[in-house]
Amino acid sequence: MSSELKGKVSDSETETVDLPDTPSRRTGRTRQKPKKYNDFFELSPSKRKPRRVSTSSEEDEIIDDSCPQKPRALFSDDDVEGQDIFKFKGRHTKHDLQNAVRSAMMNSPKVILTRLKTPKKVINLHSPIRKAAGTPRHVREVIKKRIIQEVDSDSSGDFSGSSSDFVPDESENEEQSDSSSSSSTSVEDEKPQRKDSVKTQITRNRNNKMKIKDSEYIVKPDNYFMMNSSKKIATSDHTLARLKNMNIQDNSPDTVHISTEHRKKIAELNYNHRQLFDRWLYELSENFSIILYGIGSKRTLLQQFQTEKLNKFPCIMVNGFFPSLTIKDILESIVVDLLGNTTVPSNIGSVVKLIDSQLSENSVDLFLIVNNIDGPMLRNSKSQVTLASLSQIKNVHTIATIDHINAPLLWDYSKLSKYNFSWWDVTSFVPYTEETSFENSIMTHKSGALQLSSLRSVYQSLTSNSKGIFTILIEHQLANQKQAHYQGLPFKDLYSKCREQFLVSSDLALRAQLTEFLDHKLVKMKRTLDGSENLMIPINNALLQQFLEQQTS
Amino acid sequence: MESTVSVSKGVFLFPNGFQNSKTFSKKKTNLLFCKLFQEECWYLTYRKNWEAIKTKLNELNQRSYSVLLNDIVNYIKQFYGSEEAFMLEGIIPSATLLTGVSQPDHVSQFDALINITKDEISPHVAIVNSQDSLSLKHIVENMVWQLIGNDLKNDEECDVLSTKHKLKKSQCTMKTLKTWYHSKYTNESTNKKKKLISTKTLVIVIPDFESFNCHLLQDFVMIISSYISSLPIVLVFGVATSVSALHKSFPYEVSSKLLIKVFHSHSSAVYMNQVLEDIFLTHTVPFHLSGKAFELLTDVFLFYDFSVKGLVQSIKYCMMDHYYGDNTKALCCNREDLEEAVLNLSPNDLESIRQLKSFRPYLEKQDCRTKISLFEDDQYFRDALYKELMKLHDYLYSFYLCVKLLSTLIKDIPNNLLGKTVREVYTKCATECITDTPSFKECMQLLSFQSQIKIVDTITGALKLLNSHLQSVSPIKPLQATPKKNNNNTDKVFAHRELGESFAKTVRVHLMTFLRQLENANTEASISTAMDTDSNDNVENVPGSRYKLKEKLLKATRVEKIQSEFEMIRCRFISYLEEMFAKGLQPPHTQTFHEIMFFSDISNVKKHIVGAPRGALHTALSDPAHYLQCSCCRLPSPESVAGTLPDVCLAYKLHRECGKHINLYDWLQAFAAVVKPGENDEQRHHDPIIQSRFTRAVAELQFLGFIKSSKRKTDHVMRLTW
Repeated sequence: MSSELKGKVSDSETETVDLPDTPSRRTGRTRQKPKKYNDFFELSPSKRKPRRVSTSSEEDEIIDDSCPQKPRALFSDDDVEGQDIFKFKGRHTKHDLQNAVRSAMMNSPKVILTRLKTPKKVINLHSPIRKAAGTPRHVREVIKKRIIQEVDSDSSGDFSGSSSDFVPDESENEEQSDSSSSSSTSVEDEKPQRKDSVKTQITRNRNNKMKIKDSEYIVKPDNYFMMNSSKKIATSDHTLARLKNMNIQDNSPDTVHISTEHRKKIAELNYNHRQLFDRWLYELSENFSIILYGIGSKRTLLQQFQTEKLNKFPCIMVNGFFPSLTIKDILESIVVDLLGNTTVPSNIGSVVKLIDSQLSENSVDLFLIVNNIDGPMLRNSKSQVTLASLSQIKNVHTIATIDHINAPLLWDYSKLSKYNFSWWDVTSFVPYTEETSFENSIMTHKSGALQLSSLRSVYQSLTSNSKGIFTILIEHQLANQKQAHYQGLPFKDLYSKCREQFLVSSDLALRAQLTEFLDHKLVKMKRTLDGSENLMIPINNALLQQFLEQQTS
Repeated sequence: MESTVSVSKGVFLFPNGFQNSKTFSKKKTNLLFCKLFQEECWYLTYRKNWEAIKTKLNELNQRSYSVLLNDIVNYIKQFYGSEEAFMLEGIIPSATLLTGVSQPDHVSQFDALINITKDEISPHVAIVNSQDSLSLKHIVENMVWQLIGNDLKNDEECDVLSTKHKLKKSQCTMKTLKTWYHSKYTNESTNKKKKLISTKTLVIVIPDFESFNCHLLQDFVMIISSYISSLPIVLVFGVATSVSALHKSFPYEVSSKLLIKVFHSHSSAVYMNQVLEDIFLTHTVPFHLSGKAFELLTDVFLFYDFSVKGLVQSIKYCMMDHYYGDNTKALCCNREDLEEAVLNLSPNDLESIRQLKSFRPYLEKQDCRTKISLFEDDQYFRDALYKELMKLHDYLYSFYLCVKLLSTLIKDIPNNLLGKTVREVYTKCATECITDTPSFKECMQLLSFQSQIKIVDTITGALKLLNSHLQSVSPIKPLQATPKKNNNNTDKVFAHRELGESFAKTVRVHLMTFLRQLENANTEASISTAMDTDSNDNVENVPGSRYKLKEKLLKATRVEKIQSEFEMIRCRFISYLEEMFAKGLQPPHTQTFHEIMFFSDISNVKKHIVGAPRGALHTALSDPAHYLQCSCCRLPSPESVAGTLPDVCLAYKLHRECGKHINLYDWLQAFAAVVKPGENDEQRHHDPIIQSRFTRAVAELQFLGFIKSSKRKTDHVMRLTW
């Protein structure tokens, strides 16, 4: 908690720095971030250019050391520059995200129009953000005081955390109106339409002075370590609980939003990809494996390929994204289901030999279609060795897709040479509906919905007495949710409460009821140091609250 | 359609009428697969050429392995071969084959080893791969099973005793092996007094030593060493790195049980050069790589995988791409098939040949009548095409000859200007007109400084090369293939043949005369100067003669250089070389119809040989218009964002602006603000559509591996890239 607070502190520091009554602080700061998007934008090339030069020379040196020859044909101008993907990013601040959004809003013509017409609308645009900023004013005041202390004592402010990435600039203005209204520098730039006070003009001039200093800032590799060394997370404390409708339960495909133009273009892309089918077949027949990459689900494409071209051959379609897939399943379906053997040999070599001999005996070509060969269950080396060995068989033809950015790390040279891939970019932008349906998404409210529904279904199967016991547990837990270290409800207390409500008559009966909860992992039993047993429900309090509301209503 | 979506299954089988039965007719399925391309003549030509290359490769492999493998086999033979060969108690004879890091290439090497051992030493060979050896039990079972099992297959009918019980894998232990071996050999040999059979060695090959768990191998070696007194076992280790790997993973008590002899195989680079020079950089293969393509492939080899197998596959890929779907490429064949190929071309094919770029310059040289008939008369065009292609073949012949000559000539000169190997010289020659380049001129100059012995050596080397070149081609006799009806034209063809075999012959004649002249050339001038120096040496020895020395040196500069006979001939030789190379080393892209024989569409193939999945992802996410070609997603700069972008792209772009940790709530707000700029925050809070869109985008980013959930803070995700 304290570290987060610190994060806030160092962030607010950047906002207060421009106060005219504290000029000494600025000198204390080692580096000033670019405040405005413009500044940032102008800066960025200069930030990156020196970096680029240095890396290339470094690389050259490395190559020089190892071998005198340099690859000439490997790299061409139209390659994606490694810098774009791998470069050391500067330390990110809350402004980056904010600026990106702002510039996007600036670009969208609709807003510009409204802005031109009615400046008031612009305020509207931003005023709701004010509500979003949750930090109460008095807290801010306290923080501000701390900042002043902090800055004086320790000016090496670590990278800025923020109370919110959407700190409303206007609200900041109001608060600091006694000192200056200038802190909201990031808003009023690029907006000459806005009638700003003269004061801001002055401060902007001052900021221009700062800008020159900033442009000398060069991103060094050290930044990587600086970025990673810091333990604290410098982001705002907002949680998704702030959203009004937390639990969106439907994840049906029709929630996918694609604009009509994109839909058309995606169809075109798909059409183009389908023209490649013959080519793929040709390459497969020459014992190459096809690997498809690029963003967008490639499942349907493969399915089309299978139905169009491979309908006369035995095929095995593997969904690598399936969470409980094992390599044994794949082998079993080939050896047992397709080839009609009874058992699968234990080691890879003999399986491969068996498949090879049986396929060539029958002189049949088997097509192995793997959606997401980089799927979570296929990432271990054993699966990859097996798949590679399978692909090596003359009569087995593999078509696979990858999506994960680090997927190529799965394969070493010997595996790659067994696979003998030919790479195809089939970027399609088709949403990954099936692929992500198994994934428990990070958006917790989604998994919360799952928990909630499972909770509900278990609850409904309980007897009324058990329901009562469970409700007691929930209520107790919710009543104590403010406690930082909630230990759970002691068994004795629960027993007495249950007795009061005539839910159980004996200690043993309660225990019998509880075993059911324990078995379903709805309740956790913890033994404390003094030997008493504490019961708690390992579910988020917010969810419990919601559950309770649903039950009572 | 959605038959492959299930929440309980990840593998779906579509037998499509396949049944595993021995009676199943063989022809049907195989036919279907080949039928797809079988009728196309480009495919037939491709297949034919590729098969030719494949057989050549196999021959080459055999040749290059044979020396090494024979060494190993002889080494193995020396143990147990004769009774008197004294063996220390418990010591296992073993061979260590240092293979080099490119493991894929070694598979064929070990296969060859196993074959040769089976032929020459004993039928009992087991190969134990690391992937099948999870435990000691597996290793032993696997080994014993192979040793006995192979035997069972071999003499199933003759040996009734061993086949009467089918061996189960779980029964395969060292003890079984011992009893089996003794029942098979010792008893027999005592009965029949046949020594030859009693000395069948058991060879165990471990091809990938480093991949093994070393404790397993230690135990394995110890077990074998305890059986060595009764079983004649020889181990062969394939070590990729160095011998020290063996010593590192075996402690003293294990390594003391091994009698190790180390064999070195070729390094990958040498092997690659050999493959390229002997197979692909010859005129005998009709498919040729342009300089750029060649460079790419060798770069992939040198900088990525170091695997010759990979290189060959890449070349195969290029070849596949070259032929794919283009009937005119059927012309890319051997000389003797050319006539038929030309006749088989359809008018459409001819038209597409007329479209070739290299046809233009040829056309411009012709007079008006010929031009018209080239366009109007298909037959006339066919003849012309045939002639030109024959010329092209001749050109190729002399081109490769010159490349090889040049590389032998400049092999020893300092500075390495054009590269040391044939492939480097080829790359240079194929990309530009080499004789115009300064480095070529410098090379010639350096050649002209060579001493008599040196230059004679070089010429002898070049002549040797020439002779072998001429020999290899002589059975083909290209001119006999010239058809009868073209007879009137053949004279013309002959007349224009300043390249090809005749070129090689004239070069040989010239080189021979030069060689003779140079050998016999009097280096008179040099002799006289040598005498001079001799006399001066005496003077020099006299102390205080520094002044005289200076005097002498000054005089030497003033005396005009009298060229010796040798120098004159050398000078002529160099100018002849320049002239010859200028003729022979015209870059391929200056030739008419070079597109048919030379593959140059490198940018297309590169994507497929060297995939760039990460680059594609990045491009698609940061600039979707690149793929979608839509008007709504054109961005002023790669960094900027817009609400019209696909959701994933938008989320991706926003996430790039964040640090290591991302607050989901803030991210969502940013997302919403961009998507619906007009709405206020309150509305956005309520908008379930935006939320679900965002959720989807986040889930996709997680799926793509850009973020993962973080437990450090609630509702935060961690960025996995930076």
